[in-house]
Order: sequence, then structure tokens, then C-alpha cells
Amino acid sequence: MNQSRRPVFVSGAAAVSAFGFEWRGIGAALKEGRVSFSHSSQLADSHPSILASEVPAIPVSIDAANAKAQKLMSRAAHLATIAVQQALADAHWEDNREEIGFYAGVGASGGSMVELTEMLRASIVEHQFSLARFGSAGLAACNPLFAFQLMNNFTLCHGAILAGVSGPNSAFYSRGNGTVAALFEASHAIAEGDCERALAGGADSAVHAVTWAELKREGYARNGFVPGEGAALLALSASADNALAIVEHCAFGNSLTSDRNDLDKLLMNIDITEIHSVIIAPWGTPARQTLRALTETHFPQASVLNINEFLGDALAATPALAWVTALDLLQTEEINKCLILNAGIDGGIGAVLLGKTSRHANIMEHGQ
Amino acid sequence: MKLRRVYVRGVGAITPLGATWPLSVAALAEGKSAIKPVTHFDVCNFPCTVAAAIPERFTQFSDRRLALAHAAAHEAWDAAGVSSNPEKTGIFLGAESGRASLRTVFALAQAAGGGSTFNHQQFGINARPLASWIDASLASPAAVTSALAREFDVAGPAETISLACASGAAAIAEGARAIRLGLCDVAICGGVGADVDPLMLAGFGQVGALSARGISCPFDVYRDGFVVGEGAAIAILASEQGSATVEVAGEGRTLDGHHLTAPDPEGKGAIRSMQAALQAANIQAVDYIQAHGTSTPLNDAVEAMAIRNVFGKHLDRMHISSIKGALGHWIAGAGAIGFLCAIEAVTKGLVLPTANLLHPDPACGLPLVTGKAIQKEVETALINSFAFGGANCSLVVKRCA
Repeated sequence: MNQSRRPVFVSGAAAVSAFGFEWRGIGAALKEGRVSFSHSSQLADSHPSILASEVPAIPVSIDAANAKAQKLMSRAAHLATIAVQQALADAHWEDNREEIGFYAGVGASGGSMVELTEMLRASIVEHQFSLARFGSAGLAACNPLFAFQLMNNFTLCHGAILAGVSGPNSAFYSRGNGTVAALFEASHAIAEGDCERALAGGADSAVHAVTWAELKREGYARNGFVPGEGAALLALSASADNALAIVEHCAFGNSLTSDRNDLDKLLMNIDITEIHSVIIAPWGTPARQTLRALTETHFPQASVLNINEFLGDALAATPALAWVTALDLLQTEEINKCLILNAGIDGGIGAVLLGKTSRHANIMEHGQ
Repeated sequence: MKLRRVYVRGVGAITPLGATWPLSVAALAEGKSAIKPVTHFDVCNFPCTVAAAIPERFTQFSDRRLALAHAAAHEAWDAAGVSSNPEKTGIFLGAESGRASLRTVFALAQAAGGGSTFNHQQFGINARPLASWIDASLASPAAVTSALAREFDVAGPAETISLACASGAAAIAEGARAIRLGLCDVAICGGVGADVDPLMLAGFGQVGALSARGISCPFDVYRDGFVVGEGAAIAILASEQGSATVEVAGEGRTLDGHHLTAPDPEGKGAIRSMQAALQAANIQAVDYIQAHGTSTPLNDAVEAMAIRNVFGKHLDRMHISSIKGALGHWIAGAGAIGFLCAIEAVTKGLVLPTANLLHPDPACGLPLVTGKAIQKEVETALINSFAFGGANCSLVVKRCA
């Protein structure tokens, strides 16, 4: 293992969101106050009139997955495949994809309700669920590869297979911080010389009948939670050539057992007086309130955007959508740095600082 | 920056052959197999009707994964004898989603009408009252990590790796990296699989991955699929050597980027994974390999080819086995139990056999350990863990110099 540590640059990005399939312009859209919510089409049958932030119809021209491949994908996996293609194209990484790493924050993949419906329908005998019937007719009624829609790592693997990306990798189950862990590991893989290039981000969907039933049950719907979906990736590189930004800082803490990992510790090695732009990416209302309070105390002069107010809550994808929003702001606004803070229902909190490429400090801390 | 060494301070496991790792090892060394007909639910009409299950039901735990991981983690922690500042203690676990109980599946089916059609609107209304006893958090992959973090007062990094069959090995790789970088001093690492349930048997059976013969016999000429198993294996890694005699020397992780359910036929991803782990450990060969060895026709053939490609003439002095003949395939826990087998080989010279391997496939061409365990000096060992979807992870462990 190469022991020298190198700066990590952002060479490209991708975002698949309710705003479309282009990351450039997301920052401006949020600044303008553009909101993406509309009545959900995916939840129309089970939960009519729910507002959601949904990705528009995917143009065939950008969809690397054919109909057969799509039958094996969860919604999150499908969105991720598009993001992978877009990020690789944006970074102009056409060659040697075998060496490119891929680290993703993923959710619990939701299988197709159509498949689930068919499976359950065929398994019911005289108003009772029958395991014996399930073992025969239930299984036969659905796509034989239905189980693979439910495997969390396939959110990462589908995109890798279609794009030929096959370097170091990992899939982190994410309630926010898993996505930051993905960026953290990808950055370290580059910094330590494990790979020269890597994709890092997240993909997920809260716009699923079962997911939304659970979120509703847990009280999120009463607290202004708008289900969202999306995928976003940063294309990270050891090379500064044509770099869009630099990853100045990436840290996350585990507050599962106490409040020991507070924001001060996560930001210990950076000069917060230089931060005038903050994006928050909370998972649910308590996290939003926490992040709001923290930004008011730590960054009273900073411009603060809450990505959920515009793109809903896309679970594991939300922190990554916030990063690409920050990247866009760095290209279009008179700012040198943008800090992205996330917090999740586990009590975890994450901090990512992206800076303009003229800045070469590269500090990465984990936990503390 | 000088990277720190990573020592294996203690291990623990609960397996279908024993409630602790030493009990399991004793049975494994005899070549016993835990694979039996499934009796705790109706497997009539299922594509595969056997599994390596742990008979205990663990009624005091609401989540079977947690019950298994809890047992293994406590055994490992007690064996390790470590103490650490909570903020310098991390936890890295491989886990997939928990499974809804049959009661839940039935309730959901009923919520949707319970008849011959699935009524979406009715489901939307009726699913809500199920809240009192359907706890979605129990199905979360992160639930086990969260619970153990609280239990062991972990305030450092906490990660849940959901990388299918490579989850457990990748979690150990993450923990080792965290210690090397100084992010934590102690890491609770490993994986858990609790997939002997109708949905998993159905899912894997439907894709033809399970053995129709009901035998897990890795690298056997008659192998026809894997058998689902369950258990948990945990290792305590630390920056301080203490009484440890073995260390994690290297990790390699790659993607095939080839196919969802089939390995790259040339084994390129597996080859690069092993090579990366060897390179990180600064060695060219090992004494022993705990192979992924699932007992599927394709995996074993490709893995054997990849091993031959990487080790070539060194194979003459090597031994290879797969624990899945005895314990089945633990999915997210598979790499972690493989890791413990390799640790056993390095620390005690006990090379566990491949149970049920009666007719080694000559096409595989590997120096396989069959029958009972053998004793040999093992300085270095490699663990392979390859996942559906094409994620590969290889680990190298070696005796401390």
C-alpha cells in the first residue's frame, strides 16, 4: 500500500433528481427556490395525493439499461446506473475503467410492487397466505430474479456492470452517514494510492409503497417529510487536470451511544470562519432541527440551504445530491468553499467540505 | 505517514456446529457437516429443502441476526481482552436486510385484500395499523451494527457493509483500514447471516443457485449449487499487539463488472482481488487459502482457475479448503467465518477440511484438504469472498514477525 497521501479532486459529477439528469444548474435551481414536489405517480395507487419529489421519465437516450436489465433492478439501482454513466461521461473517463473504484451509500432496495403483487396473489389460498402455495405458484408467478431486486449491493453492481467499472469498491448501508462513509473510503483509496480514480455517492428511493407506509407509520409524514428519490455521484481523481473542486474535508461521527461526536469535533481541523455557504441534508425532522440549530450557532453569517426543501428526502441519495449541489455552487457562485452537513435517524452526523481547486489543503478525518 | 499494523486479538463465532468458535472448530476438524433438512418451516415445493441452521430460536431477541452477532461479538470481545476509549473503538459489520416474519408476510397479504387480487389502496390504509408489531427497523441492515454499538459503547466509526456475499470480508477490510489510519484503536469486525428462511430459500432457489441434491460439496465434481447456512463470526482487531500472534496484512477489493449472477468467466476480478491483497501484504504466495468455494458449478470452476493463475507453481506447497461444505453459505457472514478459519490455520496450524468433498473435480486442479483437518505450519493465509453482483474481497493474514 502506497503510504503517501495525495489530494483528492473532483473531476466530474452526476445527479439524477426531480430536476432532471444534469447536475449543473441544481445549485441555481435551489437558490431560486425552485421546488420539485408534485403528486406522486408511483404512490398514486396505494397512497393517493401524496406529494413527492420524483425523477421524471428517463429518456431512452441516456438509459444504459435495456428492458430486460431493468426487470432486475430496483428503482434505486436503475437511477444509479444512469448516474454512473453520466458521471463517467462528465469526467471524460472513457478508458481503463477496470481500475476505477466505486463506493456507494445504498438503501434497502425496494422490489417492484408489480412483482410482489403477483407473488402474493398467487400464494393466497382461501384468504390465507399459504407457504406451500408460495413455494410453488407464488414463486412461479414472479420474475425468477426478483430476489436480486432486493439485494442492497445491486444498487452499486448494476451500474458497475453496465459501465465496466471494476476497481476497489464497497456498498454502505446508509441512513445518511453510510453515504458519507462511501465518500470517505473513496477519498482515502485515492489518497493512499489504492486507485487513481473513483466514483462516490449514493442512490435511493423513498417513493415506494412499502417504504412510504413505513415512513408514515413512524410519523414522518406528519412532520413535513416529502419522499424523494435520486442518485448522485462525484467522480474523484488524484489528478488536478480539469478538476472542478477539491475534497478538503470528509468526516462522520457515530453518536449512537452519546453526543460525543459533535460538530466541533468533525470540523476540528478546518477554519470555519472561511465557510460562508452551507447545505444541510437531514434525514427527517429531528435531524433537520438539529442541523438548523448547529448552523445557526456555528455559521451565523453563512448562506444555508436545506436540500430537502427542494428535492424531498431521497434517503441514502440525499447527502450525495447535496454534494453535487455544492459543486454547482462552487462553479457558479463567488464562494471558495461549501460545507455540506448531514444527519440521520441513527444520530450520525457527517461533514463534507468541497473547495475550489486553487485550495490544496486536503484534510480527512473520521469519527474523532 | 506510517501506517499502523493490525492485530487480531480475539475471535468468536456461533455456527450450526457449535455455540462458540472452539466448539465449532472441534466439529469442523472432524469433517462434520451441519446441513440437514429444514424442519422449522414448510419447505414443500421449495427448490432446495436443506440448510445449515442453528436450532436455537433465540426468543429473547427480536432479530435473529442480532442474536447471532451478539453471541459471537461477546465471545470475541472476551477473548480479546482489549480496553479502548469508546471514541477510538469502531464497529464494522457485514449484514444484509433482515427478513420479515411469515406472520408479517401474511399480514401484509391480508392488508392488501387477502383475496385473489392485491388492492393497492386497501394496502395503503390497512398497512398502517400493523404498526404495533411490524417493526421495519428490525429489517434494516444497520440494526445489528446499531445495537452492538450501544452494547459495546462504541463511539468511533460505525459502518454497515451491504455487499452481499462479500459483506463480512469487506467489513474486516474496512476495520483493518480504520486501524491502519489511526481512526480507531480497536475494531469489532465481522459478519452475520440469518437467511435460513422461506424468502431466501425461495429467492436463491428460483435462480437455480441452490443445490437440488441438497449437498454442499465445494470443488466436487458432482457439485450442483450452494446450501444456505446461518451464523455469525466476529474478530476484534487492534493496533496494540497484546498477546496476538496473527495480523491482517493485506486486503484487495475489486468488481467483476461482468454479470449479476455469474462470475467473469476469465476470473479477472477474482485474480485482481487476490493480487491486490498479496501486494498489500508484500508477499507472492500463501500457505493456505480459505476459498469462497460455494459448491456452485460456476463459482468453484472460476475461482479455481483464478487461484491457479495467481499462485501457479506455489500451489505445490499450499493447501486449500472451503468451510461451506460444513456450514453452508452464510451470505453476509460468509467472509467473516472464512476469516476465522484462516486465523485458526495461522495460530494453531489447524487446516480445516472441505466437508462433503468426496470426488475432487480434476478440472479445478487444486490441492484441496478433504476428510479431516490436517496440521501444518501456516505462516500466511488468504481468504476469498466473492459476491453476487461481482464484488470481490480477498484478505491476507500472517503470523506476527
